[in-house]
Amino acid sequence: MKPILPLAKAGLLALAVAAIFLIGLELYWRGQGYELSYNNNEAQWADKRAEVYQPAEKTTVFIGSSRIKFDLDIPTWERTTGEQAVQLALEGTSPRQILNDLADDKNFRGKLVVDVTEGLFFAPDGTRPDNRANESIAYYRKISPTQRFGFQVNRLMESAFVFLDSKQFSVKALLDDLPLPPRPGVFMYPAFPKKFVTVAFNGQTTMTDAFVADTSMRNKMIGIWMRFGGSASSQGVGGDTLRGIMAGTKTAVAKIQARGGKVVFVRTPSSGGVLAAETTQYPRALYWDRLLSETGCQGIHFQDYPAMAHFECPEWSHLAVADGKAFTGELAGILKQKNWFSQTPTQR
Amino acid sequence: MLFNSYTFFVFFAAVLLLYNLPVTWQAKKIILLVSSFVFYAAWNPPFILLLWLSTVVDFEVGRRLYHQQDPVKKKLLLIISLAGNLGMLFFFKYGGFLLENFVALSSALGFDYNPAKPDIILPAGISFYTFTTLSYTIDMYKRESPPVKSLLDFSLFVTFFPHLVAGPIVRPPQLVPQFETPRKATSKQFTQGLFLLTLGLFMKVFLADNMLASISDSVFNARMPLQTLDSWMGVLAFSGQIFFDFAGYSTCAIGIAATLGFVLPENFRYPYAAVGFSDFWRRWHITLSAWLRDYLYIPLGGNRKGNVRTYINLMVTMLLGGLWHGASWTFVAWGALHGLFLCVERGIKGFTDSRKKVAASELVMKSSLGPTLTANNGFGQLALALFTFFLVNVTWVFFRAPDFRSAGGMLASMFGLIPKGAPLLSTLDILKVGIITVVLLVCHWLMRNTSVLAVAEKTRWWVLGAVWAVMLMLLLLSQEESNAFIYFQF
Repeated sequence: MKPILPLAKAGLLALAVAAIFLIGLELYWRGQGYELSYNNNEAQWADKRAEVYQPAEKTTVFIGSSRIKFDLDIPTWERTTGEQAVQLALEGTSPRQILNDLADDKNFRGKLVVDVTEGLFFAPDGTRPDNRANESIAYYRKISPTQRFGFQVNRLMESAFVFLDSKQFSVKALLDDLPLPPRPGVFMYPAFPKKFVTVAFNGQTTMTDAFVADTSMRNKMIGIWMRFGGSASSQGVGGDTLRGIMAGTKTAVAKIQARGGKVVFVRTPSSGGVLAAETTQYPRALYWDRLLSETGCQGIHFQDYPAMAHFECPEWSHLAVADGKAFTGELAGILKQKNWFSQTPTQR
Repeated sequence: MLFNSYTFFVFFAAVLLLYNLPVTWQAKKIILLVSSFVFYAAWNPPFILLLWLSTVVDFEVGRRLYHQQDPVKKKLLLIISLAGNLGMLFFFKYGGFLLENFVALSSALGFDYNPAKPDIILPAGISFYTFTTLSYTIDMYKRESPPVKSLLDFSLFVTFFPHLVAGPIVRPPQLVPQFETPRKATSKQFTQGLFLLTLGLFMKVFLADNMLASISDSVFNARMPLQTLDSWMGVLAFSGQIFFDFAGYSTCAIGIAATLGFVLPENFRYPYAAVGFSDFWRRWHITLSAWLRDYLYIPLGGNRKGNVRTYINLMVTMLLGGLWHGASWTFVAWGALHGLFLCVERGIKGFTDSRKKVAASELVMKSSLGPTLTANNGFGQLALALFTFFLVNVTWVFFRAPDFRSAGGMLASMFGLIPKGAPLLSTLDILKVGIITVVLLVCHWLMRNTSVLAVAEKTRWWVLGAVWAVMLMLLLLSQEESNAFIYFQF
């Protein structure tokens, strides 16, 4: 029998050690109560973006920020309406770039629900809330066959291993958790609690039970939202910037409607200090009402419907699972009243 | 297809399986060729036609060049080949750049010319495979090696997937003979290949992308003047990133080829331990600097036509070398700085040698663009290496910055000319760059006269296994945080 080369022995040892380490790591994270969660990245967005061409009578596309990703319960929507929900919202982004992308896509003739979180929706062009949307759109437009294939392999692996949740368990994420002293004058992006959410393959984002039950984690998230504009007292954009935003949105909506598509704006619930700050910074008459008036679109504001107005967000910005299901049922009902699911134009 | 993708691993496993089937050597080569085309088509399938066209034309032209006796016809054939290859390169890579400069010139002369901006997609690796095919036709013109007998072997020489999109840039004598006789990786070669593949991926995925890329990006994309510390950390981060990215790719390529039984030329030899810029270019992107030396610097006259011409030739070579990296004046400036440093180094060397009454011409190295700086002792060598590293970092500013304005701002900040720069990087970022840079420099210095495989051979198997395991673990924990290789865009 041929002797095993030293390098081959080293390779076998490396494989064994790495395998034991990863099994141990996977068991450890699961033992800590972490659940499977998909990476919510450009590849996942591009995969969903390709689904917007499904027949309009069977599909509604959702764009917006993080709120609609929590608040829309996709299984409830699909059960209640018999339609597919394509979730294209991206957390921390303005939906206007994606709205423009769909408006410029001549093949998109479907139904579109636009979630409005004022601080993000009315962010001026070229600012941070546009970045991720633009990157995702660019990725979708240039996606290569190998990226498509890689995404499917990745999907299979992420459906099996908790440690592959890169936002929480990659080396980079773990290093970011080190308790190092902050450098004076440097802005540090706050770290979200690790058990805040899980993300399903279809983009459904779910607040975990552990998070909802833990006051300190909830307070930490409240602190983060309040830091991100929740404590500012000045009003949002105005003047030419706002006029430009309104005009751009109106043009995009008109393009979709001209092809037979439908657009509705939805103001999803917020509560506590976040809602108070939003009300101060973005008075409804100056932003929400004006948006509907200038675009000529329908709008569903959670405060206008008693069945929606009572929701309390555990961290003041997103709904917990049970409330998300209830909200989705109400949303579907209201849209039905507005002829959303029929071939005729929607009612104001 | 990226080496750092799951798709590649499925592809690679399939290639290994098919290649090791008990079939004829001809069939194995066809398997490799088809695999290479699949590998390339995974980016943008239509560009496979361009690659195929380039291959067929150069095979035919190369054969005729070698056998053609009529000097006029021979020159004409060479021009056809150069025009075809460089024409494609110029159209795809430099078309927009030329138009942009033409518009700027028109505007400066008072003409209002505003053409539509061309939307040209750059075929992956076009600069690499163009240089590969060019080397063949020029060699055929000069009859430096016999023409490749079969189109299959020539196609494999050009498209062999490990080197196709980002090198190492191979020459016909380095690779073609390997396709002429059946090859199968020995156990040792196969294991070494896997080790190099792991090492290359570790360099790219963990070190370049996970540890350094975001730091370098945030510094170079900053919209405000930064503190000196932040600027230096950003440049050092890029310095590490570009090395780990590109050397990582080359290491993967060499490793993958080894698992199939092939040998690709070395492309990096611990460049940050270089003592002087001549030494740097013997260690950094070795196959490109050798290509530039043999197909540009020497044909221009090299150092055979006097000092002035030598300096001009050096500058021309490095300016074009800079432009090869990208269609932007900042790359030209990067090349110019390297050319300038090579000239200064040559001048210093010439001066010191003349004092020793040694003719400068005797010292010209055949293997590089210039002579080597020397220092009398280890400490002096180390000091010179650190000074070289410092200057290399200055040049990286032009390589990485999007324009001269940003580069100027960055340099001003690095040299303390901005009194109230803002802090940007976190404590963790500074620690990452600091630790990685120190370890990188120490490794390069200690390894400067050896190779990673030689060191692996001497290391106890369980120590090597532990190191290999750590690399594997960090790779798996770095998943989904990796980007395309920087050199793909060149």
